[in-house]
Amino acid sequence: MEALGFNMSAGFLEGVVRGYKGALLTQANYHNLTQYFRLQLSSTDYGNFLANEPLPLSTATIADKATEKLVAEFSYIRTNAVEPLATFMDYITYAYMIDNVILLTLGTLHERDTHELLERCHPLGVFDTMPALCVATNVEELYHSVLVETPLAPYFRDCLSAQDLDDLNIEIIRNSLYKSYLEDFHSFCQTLPAPTSEIMTRILAFEADRRTLNITINSFGTELSKDQRARLFPTIGRLYPEGNNALARADDVDSVIAAVDHIAEYKSFFDKAGVSSGAGANGAEEASSSLEDEFFKHDVELNKQSFLQQFQYAVFYSFVKLKEQEVRNLTWIAECIAQDAKDRVNDYISVF
Amino acid sequence: MSGTGPREAVFPTRMNLTLTKTRLKGAQTGHSLLAKKRDALTTRFRTILRKVDEAKRLMGRVLQLASFSLAEVTYTAGDIGYQVQESVRKASYTVQARQENVSGVVLPAFDGVRSKDASDFNLTGLSRGGQQIQKCRDTYVKAVGTLVELASLQTAFTILDEVIRATNRRVNAIEHVVIPRLDNTIKYINSELDEMDREEFFRLKKVQGKKKRDAEKADESRQGQNEEYRAQGGEVHRDEGIRGGDAGGADMLDQGKDDDVIF
Amino acid sequence: MAATTTNPKDRTLLAVIGDEDSVTGLLLAGIGHIDQNQKKNFLIVDAKTQTGVIESAFQDFTERKDVAILLINQHVAERIRPTVDRYQAAFPALLEIPSKEHPYDPAKDSVLKRVQKLRGD
Repeated sequence: MEALGFNMSAGFLEGVVRGYKGALLTQANYHNLTQYFRLQLSSTDYGNFLANEPLPLSTATIADKATEKLVAEFSYIRTNAVEPLATFMDYITYAYMIDNVILLTLGTLHERDTHELLERCHPLGVFDTMPALCVATNVEELYHSVLVETPLAPYFRDCLSAQDLDDLNIEIIRNSLYKSYLEDFHSFCQTLPAPTSEIMTRILAFEADRRTLNITINSFGTELSKDQRARLFPTIGRLYPEGNNALARADDVDSVIAAVDHIAEYKSFFDKAGVSSGAGANGAEEASSSLEDEFFKHDVELNKQSFLQQFQYAVFYSFVKLKEQEVRNLTWIAECIAQDAKDRVNDYISVF
Repeated sequence: MSGTGPREAVFPTRMNLTLTKTRLKGAQTGHSLLAKKRDALTTRFRTILRKVDEAKRLMGRVLQLASFSLAEVTYTAGDIGYQVQESVRKASYTVQARQENVSGVVLPAFDGVRSKDASDFNLTGLSRGGQQIQKCRDTYVKAVGTLVELASLQTAFTILDEVIRATNRRVNAIEHVVIPRLDNTIKYINSELDEMDREEFFRLKKVQGKKKRDAEKADESRQGQNEEYRAQGGEVHRDEGIRGGDAGGADMLDQGKDDDVIF
Repeated sequence: MAATTTNPKDRTLLAVIGDEDSVTGLLLAGIGHIDQNQKKNFLIVDAKTQTGVIESAFQDFTERKDVAILLINQHVAERIRPTVDRYQAAFPALLEIPSKEHPYDPAKDSVLKRVQKLRGD
């Protein structure tokens, strides 16, 4: 039944997204790129998007341009979207908004000129009233304008007071907001019809778990107390609740591995990443980069799967994520070439 | 001849000659000491030179590694530049200068010091890429260590360079200005003294010749007077002396030429 | 000469003038410092930064009494090369460092140039 109504409102856009998806770089493209960067890029969907850039190209320019393209495609879909897809897509942008608001908060805390910060904001997270935030001269004002002006108001209200903005470490604020956001997005997805909610639950659950694991591992040896740490864990995901509880108590990588033991996929990440039990903190440092890589790989995998089903919104989310990964890959390859590190150039995570 | 080169403005006296000779000796000792110092510094300088060269090249590689690890961070954690800049409060990596003495030249050397509470960025990238950030941070700390080392070398290089130049200037000044000048002075004094001797001798000779001529003249006129007196029938008073008469009273000055007086 | 106007022991900071990535990395290592007057010991240079700004920052850092080492990206140093080449003082020590996109070129380094000259003859 759902499928009948879907095409009326979102059929066209789904087609467009699948078209965009088809334009994502393939393994072969990447391979060629690693050989001749600029030459090969023009033969892909990116066309001659770098044509007007003055030489020498910096990797930052490449990343900016690629992101621009992502944003252009996204806003095209967003403009044409109708409810509830529109709301769904808004939710996607909230994640970037959090980053932007945090950035502005940082600027305000240090009494910087917030206007120049606007340039640094992620374009996906730009909202109409954002310049209004720049008017704020102190944290108190900023807090209130965030409450009034941004869609993030509920998250802010839930977890912070104006006082907190001043005192807490900015990273803790960011993660608290993100946790609220994930939970909210998750509950929104539950209101959507079947295939969407199913797939989104899966993706968001992984996102939540990834954050939980990362926060746990990264907070070892920092001033972040276990209590604070536990408060940053999103209350969704496959690790919730007992896994989260175990992680909240974890002191080292071994206990983390023990906590995820019952979920075969996560366990395999640790196995692949080579975080052997007993290796201790040093072992974790060595292997954690590949742990992140494993997370990225799984993320890409999940997002790819969402394209397998038709008549659902998850494709839009997945598209953004995949495209983001692609931008990262491009930057990585460009970076490797610029820094003459040819041996690491193949460490990107191919999307298709 | 004396007086061709520059010399000290002194009176050509024997005392000054002795003084100047002492000074020349001093200058020569100083010259050899300074030359030794210069050689010691130059040896040190060459070592540092080589090390600076090596360290500069090493730094190129180390920083390349470091910036690559930053690229890894950007890959996982996104752009953290702004956040990092804004979280800066107090330097946790500082340097301490200590001093080293090479042939009387104080060379500073820097030591990197990392304060214990170096945890400013611990929470950066909490949810994503935190480990990479830590890794990157360690890489950069190592890189900064190399930089600090290089800076010490380079400072030593600059200071030594300066000192060696100064020493060289002194050595050269002594060699090419002070010593020739003193030499000239000595030569000058010597030649002046010789000159004075010759003049003195000539003067004595002159005095002697004049005296002799005067004596002859006096003798002649007395004999003439005697003759005249005798012709008038007068008796010439003679100083008889011991023997008296013609036999005695011979004129002392009449006994021919004296030997030359040689001084 | 070894005699400097200030005691080198007072100099504890590293200052840096460079592109964003170099500065970020060095700040990660913990060299960043902001004093009571909100004065920073680093300057980020991008394509838009005026040469005058770099010049004055360079002057500022070289005249500060608490800076022991001044790091400057080589490509930034290129932009104010005459000033850099004229700088001969021992304190603070001036180091030209490579940046991500500009690999190290020993031929341009003002100190290495002197090294080469001295080694050459």
